Amino acid sequence: METLLNVAIFLPLVGALFVAVIRSELFAKVASIFIGAVVALISLVLFLNFDFSKQGFQFETYVPWIKTLGIGYHVGVDGMAISLILMTSILFLGAYIWSWKIEDRPSLYFALFLALETACIGVFAALDLFLFYLFWEGMLIPMYFIIGFWGHERKVYAANKFFLYTFFGSLFLLLGIASILVYGYFETGKISFDYFFHLNLDYPLWLELIAFLLFGIGFAVKIPMWPFHTWLPDAHVEAPTAGSVILAGVLLKMGTYGFVRFSLPFFPEASKYYIPLVFTLSVVAVIYAAMMAIAQTHMKRLIAYSSISHMGLVTLGTFAMSGDSLNGAIYLMIAHGLSSAALFLGAGFIYDRIHSYHMDDLGGLARYIPFFTFAFFLAILAGIAFPGFASFVSEFLILLGTFKKFPVWAFIAGIGMVLGAAYSLYMFRKVMLEEESIPEERIEKWKKLKDLELHHAIPFALIIGMALIMGIYPYPFVKIVEHTSKLVFGG
Amino acid sequence: MIWNAILPEAILSVGILTIFILELFLEKKHYKFLSILAFIFVVLSGYSVFFVNYPAKLFFGGFSVDALNLIGKLFILAVTGFILLSSYDYFSKKNSRYGELPYLYLIATLGLMVMISSDNLAIIFTGLELASITMYILVGLFKKEYLSKEGAFKYLVIGTTGTSMYALGSALVYASTGSMVLNPVKTENTLFALGIFLIISAFALKVSAVPFHFWTPDAYEGAPTPTTAYLSTVPKIGMYFLLVKLTISLFSAFPDWKYIVMLIAVLSMFYGNITAYAQKSVKRLLAYSSIAHAGYFLTALTAVDKHLFSALLFYVFVYALATVGAFSILVILEKKEGWTHHFLDFKGLKEENPILASMFALFLFALIGIPPAALFLGKLGIFFGLAKTGMLALGILFAIASLISAGYYLKVIVYMFLYSGEVRHGQVSVSAGEAFTVLGTAFLVVFFGLFPHVVLDFILRAFS
Repeated sequence: METLLNVAIFLPLVGALFVAVIRSELFAKVASIFIGAVVALISLVLFLNFDFSKQGFQFETYVPWIKTLGIGYHVGVDGMAISLILMTSILFLGAYIWSWKIEDRPSLYFALFLALETACIGVFAALDLFLFYLFWEGMLIPMYFIIGFWGHERKVYAANKFFLYTFFGSLFLLLGIASILVYGYFETGKISFDYFFHLNLDYPLWLELIAFLLFGIGFAVKIPMWPFHTWLPDAHVEAPTAGSVILAGVLLKMGTYGFVRFSLPFFPEASKYYIPLVFTLSVVAVIYAAMMAIAQTHMKRLIAYSSISHMGLVTLGTFAMSGDSLNGAIYLMIAHGLSSAALFLGAGFIYDRIHSYHMDDLGGLARYIPFFTFAFFLAILAGIAFPGFASFVSEFLILLGTFKKFPVWAFIAGIGMVLGAAYSLYMFRKVMLEEESIPEERIEKWKKLKDLELHHAIPFALIIGMALIMGIYPYPFVKIVEHTSKLVFGG
Repeated sequence: MIWNAILPEAILSVGILTIFILELFLEKKHYKFLSILAFIFVVLSGYSVFFVNYPAKLFFGGFSVDALNLIGKLFILAVTGFILLSSYDYFSKKNSRYGELPYLYLIATLGLMVMISSDNLAIIFTGLELASITMYILVGLFKKEYLSKEGAFKYLVIGTTGTSMYALGSALVYASTGSMVLNPVKTENTLFALGIFLIISAFALKVSAVPFHFWTPDAYEGAPTPTTAYLSTVPKIGMYFLLVKLTISLFSAFPDWKYIVMLIAVLSMFYGNITAYAQKSVKRLLAYSSIAHAGYFLTALTAVDKHLFSALLFYVFVYALATVGAFSILVILEKKEGWTHHFLDFKGLKEENPILASMFALFLFALIGIPPAALFLGKLGIFFGLAKTGMLALGILFAIASLISAGYYLKVIVYMFLYSGEVRHGQVSVSAGEAFTVLGTAFLVVFFGLFPHVVLDFILRAFS
């Protein structure tokens, strides 16, 4: 089992090397899908074998690496990590299948995505701060080039903005790591990057307050929390479809993952101290981003703002200091990863067929591409937390947990959910329905449209299927997620 | 007296004399042979470092050998070797087969090696001058080009000012302590303080820190590119090894030294990074990046701490490797017809030379500080040291400055990869030496990022 986890982390990287060297289009596509499927299968096996009645991390591997600095190759998963890895591998598999028809530099494209997959799974599995940072920064360069090479008109601007914002966050994360390392050094006389080493240290309050902010800036940029969010709409609008899927589905979760994995257990006192700050930023994000989403006419920009809004809900749940809300927050990371990915797939499909993201250029599509309409509607339902989908369970848990201690905040955040339904359904109406108001020649064009092909249908089925399973039968997932919240709150 | 303490210097001197004599008899077409010969002597000298018995003192205590300056010599020789290999084809193509070149590089290296292995201010001066005067000549090598002459002249005038500041500073230190030898003394003497101030200024000038940086962009741009690679790396390694020693045993005797260094450091990193945005030439941009890096490095000299110092020395070394790699790419590209290092020349480079462009991107990402390139560990180490000595605020300034720097490095990458070019410069042949330098430095930069203990352990042990 331990080896399987390592295989899941490094198989895509090895694949990336081969794909980059061999430079054959067919090989790149087949190999990527094959590797994606193997990794997804491995994560599924690990997920099913995960013993959630046992406390602590499982499938751990520890190999000493740099002894003088106390750095080791240390990976392992808990409930949160394994579920996120499962989601990540499924989204990547979906992204590979979706990209079956790509024509522009396919070898490079798939190689970058494979490298990105290693970095993403690695972030969720790393139990060593050095290793974590390596993977955390490792996703920066592939994503930069994915946006830069295959993006739309303003790709250079978006790629640079993405790079600089994320790098800004990472530097503060690095400062934070340095500051807790120093404390560990003063306390025990040795430098150690190990997760458990720092978990067992009690930091003084002043250090917690500083380090929380340093780590927090690093994570907040990635989530992105208001006011660090402005890179996200640009990056999403310009990124290619598969890039948006990974960006929204996986990369944004790294920030909230960092909060749950590092900030909460390392700095418990500071986490309580900063509740008002985090709540304010979260609620501003929930409401402000939802309002911004209503004002958009660009599909991807709308979905991007809805991501910011949902991620605000995740941070709210994370810091509400109750088991239920934390469960909900982790659950929403997965649920939102799936639903936003499905929505971006929808937007990408429309762009492939009609070459526009603007709602003014669309409308009345439902009659001509029925299968797509069905899939897209399911995606919208998953996004607005309709009962039966994973988001419903998670948002319900978050609001329930938050309401116990902070009823007013929970109420305000609840408004965000209503707004969420409003803009999502508005988008669906503008894009799919309203056939009366669109010009004749457009209808003529629509009649020639081709519906979902196999390489579109499989990713949709995978992603929406998982969201449905998690919504209809949430018990095992909640159990497994609870494994982490018990770890965090120590009960 | 243990004579094998000067083994590396002796071998290098033999090499210099050999090449000097051979150069008199050989024709110009043997220039490549002389370069390779110089490289062989560098390798021999580097190999002999492992046979030196240390600690040892020679010449009545004027020349001392310890673990730290042996590591310094090894670093200096390694980087010199890379530069020698990447230089020969360039000078041949530029019709400047001067046989003096290889041994001039060696003389400068010898000067730096002498400089870092002395505890005596007068002998440090000798080594410093040997290196500096040689480098003035190296910069002005293209005697028919205006830029080269201008750079050399500026470098000469400002560099000499620096040297005289150093001379005056050490005279003042001698006047107040009565000794030229470095040993920690607590003195609250105005004369001593002025001496320290002058010495710090002199070295700030040599490492091109603000406000003594004015020679840097012109000398870097005017110099032949391999010499620029040399100027921006090898002397820097030597200077920082020396500065670490001076900080421990001279500057720290004057408690306020840290505020001077801090001021210089902060000014350099912000000035260098912000001004770099205004540059049109990539070569000049790298000059400003080296000013900014001088600022980063100087932050580590604000306290006496072994972690801070070892992080600094590691950082300087890997920075030197990445910079040599980046300049070697420029060396290769400059062999193209009509290449000017202007940004527009880099437009769409990935279509013409995909491998060169990706290697250049690797070095630029390394300079930004993206893992797994080793420079990020240098940054982390300095953050660690600054937090340890209670100067996290300086660390935050460092972080902001390096964020600013990311923008202009990315600009080069954007030009190479994301724009497509109109001007075609055609293919360029890469000589074996250049290929070795580029691949070797790239490999080492990544290797030291993943396995830093190969170097870091030795440095740490040298301090304790």
